[in-house]
Amino acid sequence: MKRIFFLLRKDFIRKWKNPQVIIGFMLIPLVFTFIMGAVFGRQAEVSLPPIKILIVDNDQSLLSQLLLGALTQGEFQKKITLVKLKEEKEGRRLINKGQATALLIIPQGFAQSVWEEKPTQLILVKNPAEQFLPQIAEEITDTITLLLSGAVTIFSPELQTIRTLIESNSSRQNTLDDKAVADISIRIKGKFEKFGDYVFPPILWVKQETIELPGKKEAPQLSFHGYILPAMAILFLLFVCNTVIEDTLREKEKMTLFRLLISPLKMEEFVWSKILTAIIIGITVTAFLLLLGTLFFAINWGNFWMVAVLVITLNIACGGFISVFYSFVKTERQAGAVLSTVILVMSLLGGSMVPVDIFPQFLRPISRFTLNYWGIEAFHRIMFGRSWADLAPIFIAFTLGGFALAAIGSFFLKKNLVKGYAG
Amino acid sequence: MLRLENLSKSFGEIKAVDNVSFQVESGEIFGLLGPNGAGKTTIIQMVAGLLKPDNGRIWLDSIEALVNPEATKKLLGVVPQEMAFYEELSAWENLFFWGSIQGVKGKILKDRIHFYLEKTGLLARAKDPIKKYSGGMKRRINLIIGLLHQPRVLLLDEPTIGIDVQTRLNIYEVIKEAAQAGTTILYTTHNLKEAEELCDRIAIMDEGKILASGTLKELITIVGKKDIAYLQGEFSLEKAQEVLTSLPPEAVLSLQEGKLVLALEASSSLPPLLELFFQKGLTIHDISIKEPSLESVFLHLTGKELRE
Ligand SMILES: Nc1ncnc2c1ncn2[C@@H]1O[C@H](COP(=O)(O)OP(=O)(O)OP(=O)(O)O)[C@@H](O)[C@H]1O
Ligand SMILES: [Mg+2]
Repeated sequence: MKRIFFLLRKDFIRKWKNPQVIIGFMLIPLVFTFIMGAVFGRQAEVSLPPIKILIVDNDQSLLSQLLLGALTQGEFQKKITLVKLKEEKEGRRLINKGQATALLIIPQGFAQSVWEEKPTQLILVKNPAEQFLPQIAEEITDTITLLLSGAVTIFSPELQTIRTLIESNSSRQNTLDDKAVADISIRIKGKFEKFGDYVFPPILWVKQETIELPGKKEAPQLSFHGYILPAMAILFLLFVCNTVIEDTLREKEKMTLFRLLISPLKMEEFVWSKILTAIIIGITVTAFLLLLGTLFFAINWGNFWMVAVLVITLNIACGGFISVFYSFVKTERQAGAVLSTVILVMSLLGGSMVPVDIFPQFLRPISRFTLNYWGIEAFHRIMFGRSWADLAPIFIAFTLGGFALAAIGSFFLKKNLVKGYAG
Repeated sequence: MLRLENLSKSFGEIKAVDNVSFQVESGEIFGLLGPNGAGKTTIIQMVAGLLKPDNGRIWLDSIEALVNPEATKKLLGVVPQEMAFYEELSAWENLFFWGSIQGVKGKILKDRIHFYLEKTGLLARAKDPIKKYSGGMKRRINLIIGLLHQPRVLLLDEPTIGIDVQTRLNIYEVIKEAAQAGTTILYTTHNLKEAEELCDRIAIMDEGKILASGTLKELITIVGKKDIAYLQGEFSLEKAQEVLTSLPPEAVLSLQEGKLVLALEASSSLPPLLELFFQKGLTIHDISIKEPSLESVFLHLTGKELRE
């Protein structure tokens, strides 16, 4: 045990004196996050596919139709595809199958409440599998709610027309002729555009802070930076772990392993010391990244202890994962080639480079087999204020999986290293 | 004490070590002298437990190495032919690490590091990263790492390559002190002078075999009380061979184009030989006659010249 301590100390001093590579791996995600934030943060909607929202209109009123009409106007039109459904049950079934971003339910009596200026409520069911788009859907409905609460005053002339229409058609209240509805919709749209600058956030994420709905409780917000940084961080953490564990082969080439082999040191101690070094350096790097993320991008990571546990378990998983590949690579160059490919492909599939939300359906299940996916997912869950129970499975899987992989990795790596030497 | 019995190791077709036996007593410096590829490093690696011999047995004191490798490691110190340490760490950090791994602790370790650094003239540079050291300075660190835990048996694999005379003497001193303290030392080299100066006994090795061994005096008697004549000139192998038929074959220690070494019963036999050379139209530029040395023994046994 004591010898492991000396090994760790030695490697930490070495990395401390030669920190360029690791600092590089730490800075790249920050720079990336900054650039991506600068480029896409302003026009992220361009890069996102239309959001598919399922609609169940239980009210079937004129007003609900107007609301839906509004959702297909102007700015919204670019972002939203509406699919009207008859039944809430059908909507929930589709959402659970992950076939839409959100389900918007307009409750019965919705119009009545609005007319009477009573508090109104729309129900939005989000797709649990998507991390990003439901936020937008939520914001859109928030905006609509805001619009509606202001609508009575802003649109009072139109409301008058609507009333007249309703009264003249009172026998068939729910089936206003299309032309009339379209006409009003266009007038409302005109108003939207006029007031657009005030009520529409041209960029949903940026301006949404100015929208405050009465009674809406403050939940941790997922900022664009907060999405990108953990995703990028995990990708580069894997590279950090790799440079540390790669040292085993370097020590073989540089003959220091030869010296260690003739010392009383056990090979297990050597191999585990490297994996531990990788994990500890990984934890340090992650901690720094999160801190810098808060300083530069004002990211609110959420519950401190959850983040701490995530950082530790995530790095155990990364260290274990990387070590497995050293069971068979023979040289540093081979390791570089194999591991870079593995890390990049896994990170791409796992959403470190492109949000999983915009993957085609057939790729999404694959994402779930990546470390990146679950790491990003865990960061988001914490940011959204989810409970320990929601996070525990990820933490446990990371820890157990990480150590299991490290056990396999260390066993074969040990054999791999003493190859060419007598046992 | 270190004893090798009928040790053999082949790499495919190559017999790297061929039935080697010898014993080194405690306090003795035993030199393994051989050209490149003789099998010196292979022997060291087998003793260190890093290579499995095909055949043979190894004892360190009363412990049989192949049977009890863990106990062997505790007795052993090895200075590999390659420099093996962490370049980015300072000398002090390296020595502290390697000493700790060997189980040397606290003040004893620090004192020893100080002692050896001072002894080898590196104390002033102790805090510099080793990558900034010269080759010779690195060699010294490479040596000290093997000494820190004061092993019972010390294996030194060509520890003085590329070192200037002053530093070399310095290193000899350190090694001799270790021997005086009772360490068993196996020292490989392809440097004749080094073997002569440093080693109590020498084994001459070539192509995996030990050709002769003993003290310097004993080895010299192999050539006998002869004069060693070194001739240089312009002659081809065939022409020279024609001339040399007049001599007994064992008198020719080495023959190369333009270079000839002879072991003569008496230097008086040289003039008639030169006469023959002139008759054949061969030119000789330079003649020197020396007493038998390790070099002539080496030539006699291997027919090879050793160059630094
Ligand atoms: N791992 C190996 N695989 C194959 N052949 C080897 C191996 N190690 C050594 N040899 C061969 O064994 C022979 C002896 O090599 P060795 O390194 O013991 O020589 P040496 O006496 O130490 O030479 P030098 O003075 O150059 O260090 C050489 O022919 C070498 O090519
Ligand atoms: Mg050698």
